[in-house]
Formats: sequence, C-alpha cells, structure tokens
Amino acid sequence: MSIVPQATGLRARPVTRIEPPSLRRIRPLRDLRRLTQFVDLVKTLSIHRIRVRYKHSRLGILWALLQPLSMMVVFTVMFSFIRGAPAQAQEVPYAVFAYAGLLPWSAFSSGLSSAANALTSHTALVTKVAFPREILPITYVVAALADLGVASTALGVMMLWFQVPLTPMAIWSVLAVAMLALFLVAAGLIVSAVQVRHRDVGLAMPVILQIWLFATPVLYQLSTARHALSPALYGLYVANPMVGIVDSFRRAVVLNQPPDWTALAAGAVVILVLLPVSYVYFKHAERTMADVV
Amino acid sequence: MTPIDVRIERLGKQYRLGTRRNAGSFWALKNVTFDVPRGASVGVIGRNGAGKSTLLKLLAGITAPTSGSIVIDGRLAALIEVGSGFHPELTGRENVFLSAAILGMRRSEIVSKLPSIVEFAGVEAFIDTPVKWYSSGMYVRLGFSIAAHLEPDVLLVDEVLAVGDAEFQVKCLARIRDLKRQGITTIFISHDLTAVEQLCETAVLLDKGEVVMFDASGAVVSEYHRRITTAATETGGFASIAREGALKIAGLTFGGDPSRSRALAARTGAPLIASVRYTAARHLGPVVFELTYYSSDGKTAIATARTEDGGGVNVVPPGGVIEFVSDRLALVPGAYYVGVVVREAATHHVIDWWDGGTNLYVEAGKAVSGQFYMPHTWRVIHAAEATSPPSRADVSQARSTAESVFKTSDPF
Repeated sequence: MSIVPQATGLRARPVTRIEPPSLRRIRPLRDLRRLTQFVDLVKTLSIHRIRVRYKHSRLGILWALLQPLSMMVVFTVMFSFIRGAPAQAQEVPYAVFAYAGLLPWSAFSSGLSSAANALTSHTALVTKVAFPREILPITYVVAALADLGVASTALGVMMLWFQVPLTPMAIWSVLAVAMLALFLVAAGLIVSAVQVRHRDVGLAMPVILQIWLFATPVLYQLSTARHALSPALYGLYVANPMVGIVDSFRRAVVLNQPPDWTALAAGAVVILVLLPVSYVYFKHAERTMADVV
Repeated sequence: MTPIDVRIERLGKQYRLGTRRNAGSFWALKNVTFDVPRGASVGVIGRNGAGKSTLLKLLAGITAPTSGSIVIDGRLAALIEVGSGFHPELTGRENVFLSAAILGMRRSEIVSKLPSIVEFAGVEAFIDTPVKWYSSGMYVRLGFSIAAHLEPDVLLVDEVLAVGDAEFQVKCLARIRDLKRQGITTIFISHDLTAVEQLCETAVLLDKGEVVMFDASGAVVSEYHRRITTAATETGGFASIAREGALKIAGLTFGGDPSRSRALAARTGAPLIASVRYTAARHLGPVVFELTYYSSDGKTAIATARTEDGGGVNVVPPGGVIEFVSDRLALVPGAYYVGVVVREAATHHVIDWWDGGTNLYVEAGKAVSGQFYMPHTWRVIHAAEATSPPSRADVSQARSTAESVFKTSDPF
C-alpha cells in the first residue's frame, strides 16, 4: 500500500509564502478560494454539530422547537395581562405573531452565542492543525439555520390551527433568511475572533442579546418603533440588520405583506459592509490566534 | 540544480509573556535561516525550549512568524497526532471523516483511504464503536494513521516516536522511510537522535531559538551530545556528585561495532551487544555500570543490566568499554530509550550518567506475544520414550539459560 501516488512530480505544486501578519498582505479572495476546498469539512462538521447537540437528550431535536415556543408562550401570557399590549390591531393572533418573530431571532441569538465560543472551545484543533479557522464559527451558523428549519414546523402547525394562510408573499422570507445567514456569519466571525483574546465577549453575550432582543421588533411591530422614535433615532434603529430581517420574515410568512424596504435595505447595506470587514479582520486575527487561544 | 522546497529566511517568532502589554517578551526563534532541497530530509534537534515546536508551528502555518519568511514549494502536511480533535461520542469511522476533512482531505479521498487508515491503526474491529470506549493507544493510533495518509510534497514529522505503543512506533518509522524512498521532502523535528541520524542526511541544531549548526546529521548529533553533557556539568543535577570527571561515559553503541550507533539490527530473540565506552582520569573502583531500557517516552524502566556480580568493575585509565551481552534479546519489538548510570559499588552514589537520547529499535525476530520474549528450547517426548526421565544434562542446560537471561535483564 502506498500513500503517495507515483505521479507526485506531475501534480501542480502550490507555492506558499509565510510572512509576519499584516493587514496589507491579507488576500480575501485567495482565502475564499481555499475555503471552497474545505466544503466537505463544512458539511461534515455542520452535520456533526446538529447531531451531537441533541444526541444524548431525551427530547432530541425537539429542543430546537422548545426555545422559541417557550418564549412565545411566556410573552403571549404576559401580554394578555397587560392592556394596550403590542398585540393590538393585528390580523393574526399574538401567539402566531410573536412566534414568527422569535423564529429568526432564536436562530440569531443561539447561532451567535455558540459561534462566539467556536474557536475557544476547539483549542486543540486551533493549536495543532492549520485549516481555515472560519469554518468553526460558520458551522455553528449552519447548525442554527438548521434549527430554524426544524422550529419552523411548529409555525406551520400554528398557522393551520389559527387558520393563517400562507401566501406567495412568503417567498420574501427566503431573502430574510439569506440575510440572516450572512449577518450571522459576519457577526460570528468578529465575535469568535475577539473572544480568543478577550473572553469578556462570551460573558457579555447574554446581556448583549437581551438588549438586542428589545432593540428588534420581535415582540412588537415595526410600526410601533417608527411611531415612538424620532427620525434620526429610527435611522439608527433600522441600521440593526435584525430589524429588517425579523420584520420581513414575519410579514412574508404570516402577515401576507411585502417587506418594509427601508428597514430591509438599511440592514442589507450594513451586512454588505460588515461581511468583507469581518472576514479580513478574522483572517488577520487568525494568523496569531494559536498563540493566545 | 535541485529546487529548494522549503526556504527559511531570517525567521523569528516573538512571544509575549503574560497578557499585559508591558509584561515583556522573548524570542522563541531568532534569525533562523536554512534551505531544504527537494527530496532531502532534514532533522531539527535541540533541547526543550530550543524552538523546535515553534518552528513546527510556523512551518505548518498554525501561527505566523514575527519576522522573516518561509517559502514552501508544494503541498505541506504535518504528520502529527490529531486524536485530540476527536469527538468522544462519535464512532471511529465518523471521527476519521471529521479529522481527515480537517486535514484537508476530500470526502471521496477519505472513502477510498478508509480501509487503509483503519488497517494501519489496527482498529478494524472497533471502527463503529464510539471512540470514548477506545483505549488511549487505539485513540492515538487512529489519529496518527489519518495524518499518515495525507499525500504531501513536503512532510513535517513531529516527535513521531512519542506516539502510541512501541510496535506502532516501529510501524511509523517504517512508513516514514517508505515516504522518503518515494522522494518526499521531509523535515523531522525530534528529540529522538537515533531516528534523526537514521532518517536524515542533514540536521539543524537549535539552541535558544537560534541555529547553531547545520551539517551532516551525524556531526550535528555529536555536537548536541557534547553540548548537553557540558550543560549538565554546569547546571548540576547528577553531575554535582560527579567526581571532578574522574570517570566519564563517552558513548553507548549497539551491535558490538563502535563505529555504528545505528541499532536497527536488534531483533527479539537474537543476540545483542550493548557497548558502553568510558574514559577514566585515574584508578577508581569498584564501580557498577547500569544499562537501563526504558519505554520510548523514557518513563517506565523495562529492564536493567548491571555489572554487579563479582564486586563491580575496577576502572583503570584511560578507560575502556563495558560490553553487555544478551544471547537472546528478551525485549519485544518496539522503540526503547536507553540510559547508562555508573555508581560507586559501596555507596551507590552516582558518578556519571549517559542520557544522550540513545534509542534502540527492536524489530520482530522470534515470534512473541506478551510482555517479553522468554528464551526457551523445546523437544518432543513420544509416549514410547517417556518412561525414561530427561537426562541430567538437559535439565542443567535449561536452567543455565534461564539464569543467564535474568542476570542480564532484571525486569523491574
């Protein structure tokens, strides 16, 4: 048995140049090309994440449902006690309204908090093997999106139960989910790389996400924020990409409405700027993360 | 002209001590420059902290240098143990797919190599068992086997002999030799001087992050020996009890031929001669020489041979050689680390010791299973002859064989 083909000399020999880290020497396109050679690993690892997460729990994959469901129940019950609650003036029951917002939100919050620890929980790999480390946070993003798919089935059941029709407008949810995926990747890259040097990020994550939840129209309507905030503040508000993502997802799936283009476009611009910046930052931090992780 | 596969130029790596900005720093590597031509094997040796593992990490691309550059022509793979990336809940098979993918193998490639990976690791029967049920040996073997199936142009080998049990280590060495024969450029980073001498034509000696010698591997290994012996005398340790160098162990060789420090000819059940060379400044004695075979990690003493019978050895200047002769080597195939100690016979005080990183590789000879080879003879007694007892001569012959073995190899 030979592990090296006889034709070694005939294969293309890539030339690698290893130099001190410098932002000027980062070649994002070359790094992306290298990443495509690891597509199999992204697949294998993502499936592995999904499997391992629920492998030894009784309820298994049902946990993906229970997180948004329990929050939905809590908020539905809570708002039924508060008069003038955001449930007013809605075409759909508040439970459906809230759950449709909690779906993309839970994917974001669980995806981001697990991606934050993606590198620090794999120190053995990071310090022993050279591979594109962005794969680690990315697989957590993929797993979070898979959870979103599972949790969506409950939304389907609720829509049947409350007789909320699914219209062709639902196609816009694809755009919302695509933006969610890209935003998660960008945020995950930054947060995981910072976490390597400053563990505060992981500790701050629950607090940040809690505040972020209320800065996003998950439990209330986008129009509530528009009425309450000054135009300048509202401009800042929609710069949070989760605003456009959550609102558009809910409008498309349960409210039979097109997206609010202002919010969605503002979010898209932020994501498109953040994505290359986060990747360059990550690739720069990656060069020396094995020293500090 | 042979192309250069790995060109290392003025390479430096600085580490910060502690996390604070003003906590200070040190250079783990400084101004390291050397070239590795295509098809060559270069050993990198040096004491702990000399910068070997930093160099490995820079070459493998695990971390970036602080200064200088490395240019690698071709695909580089690091032959390291990757079992640490295993997930305990997953089966051996699932872990192979995961680890191999991390090392950059494509799924189709893994599928085709899986049988060979599993066979090399010797875990065929357990491949569908979660690795949390694996013994530590199986775990490590599987991890290493995956790395051994990469198809690089440049192979980086790190402390391969610290991995797995003795038998597996011999297998790994054979694999590396195999790769060398196929013209792969190899960089061998190791503590194991014997292996470096055998596998590499040239070697680099690192000390405190700097290249102090880059020459034929034999010369570099001797220089390394000279340095650690000197350093030991300076820093104390055993050497503090040394009697102003009245007796010094100068070398340890196997096979009875002092010009050969290579000992791959050792076979289980075959004769082996270990020669300890020593120099003496004056008359001394009686002293006891102890030759101890350790497990390859140097932690467990497997067997010791002593010059104890007959009241020890009286040392006469300028010195000489002590030969330990084993008629039938009891050690099973594998790698052993060998050390020598000289003590004063009366007080057991250590006079000098040899810890030059000498390794002995024992290859399969007589078929053996178990902890050691038991020298024995056998014969058939047919029922028709059984009425007469075995002759007295046969019995005494068997007894003396057993005694001679246990005299030279006191197991614990």
